[in-house]
Amino acid sequence: MDSSRIEELLKKYWDCETSLEEEQQLREYFNQEKVPEKWRETAALFRYFEGQKSKEVQPAFDDHLRNKIRERPHLQRGKVRYLVFNAMRIAAGITVLVAAIYLVRQEIRQEDPIAVEDTYTDPKQAFEETKKALLMISKGFGTAEQQAKKINMLNEAREKVQATTKEEEKEL
Amino acid sequence: MNLETFQNRVLPVKNKLFRFALRMLGNEAEAEDVVQEVLVRVWNGREQMDQIQNMEAWCMRITKNLSLDRLRSIQRKGTYPIETSYEVQHADVTPDVKTELGESMQHVSQLIAALPEKQRQIIHLRDVEGYSYNEICETLELDMNQVKVNLFRARNAVREKLLKINAYGLQ
Repeated sequence: MDSSRIEELLKKYWDCETSLEEEQQLREYFNQEKVPEKWRETAALFRYFEGQKSKEVQPAFDDHLRNKIRERPHLQRGKVRYLVFNAMRIAAGITVLVAAIYLVRQEIRQEDPIAVEDTYTDPKQAFEETKKALLMISKGFGTAEQQAKKINMLNEAREKVQATTKEEEKEL
Repeated sequence: MNLETFQNRVLPVKNKLFRFALRMLGNEAEAEDVVQEVLVRVWNGREQMDQIQNMEAWCMRITKNLSLDRLRSIQRKGTYPIETSYEVQHADVTPDVKTELGESMQHVSQLIAALPEKQRQIIHLRDVEGYSYNEICETLELDMNQVKVNLFRARNAVREKLLKINAYGLQ
């Protein structure tokens, strides 16, 4: 690659306008043996970047990690616990709902007791009982009528009084 | 996710995670510790991991968060202030590494270590790991603008100091 092209790429690089490929080109260029003296420090920068890529974890890292992973098989237990907790949460919700419905229904029943209750299973007996009840009502009506007749007497008396007072007024 | 998919899909990113953690913590042992914790977390939460689309970005994000936690706890403990800890650790490179790196590369390493946290993360993800801007956004939970601005600042800060070294032969 000629130096004018590198110059151009470097300018773009400092302005943060280079693409990833162009930056890779720069790294490759500056990592070769012969780089002009004027770019000595710039080359150091790109060599540094390239050199950093070789930094790796210790070879024993994987074994340590594997041991750590095996040390903590608590996930299985954690999963079971998670499921049990979830089931219990749902069960608690249902319990609360059922209790609430039961209490509300009882409250309604107390406030508003059912008026008619089926008490007789035998139709004959039921008929007799109904007849009895109706007779009781008609008896009640009978006595009420007798009492009402007494009020009629009062009315008749008042009419008579009114008639006599009218006659007296005419005579005068 | 079973052990096989874990080993094929997740474990290969360990070195990327390690380098990222190392960039933030500046200490290999701490960085390796963080990576291990990240991977153990992935393994323990493997039932939910299938929903994650970009596993690598997700792991990187956890690495970043755990590394930040570490930094904070180190800072809180007051064992050593973060600003100097980098210099101490970077000056502490063993002699053979020193020659291997070369003097100028060591300068570069110090320059990058001296960058603010966010700039350091972004320049690392872009220039070492070769991440696209979108991937950086996803990993660091930043918007595109912030990523570009921070990368611009990071590169130019490094450049300015590099040129100074070049011109005067001193830092």
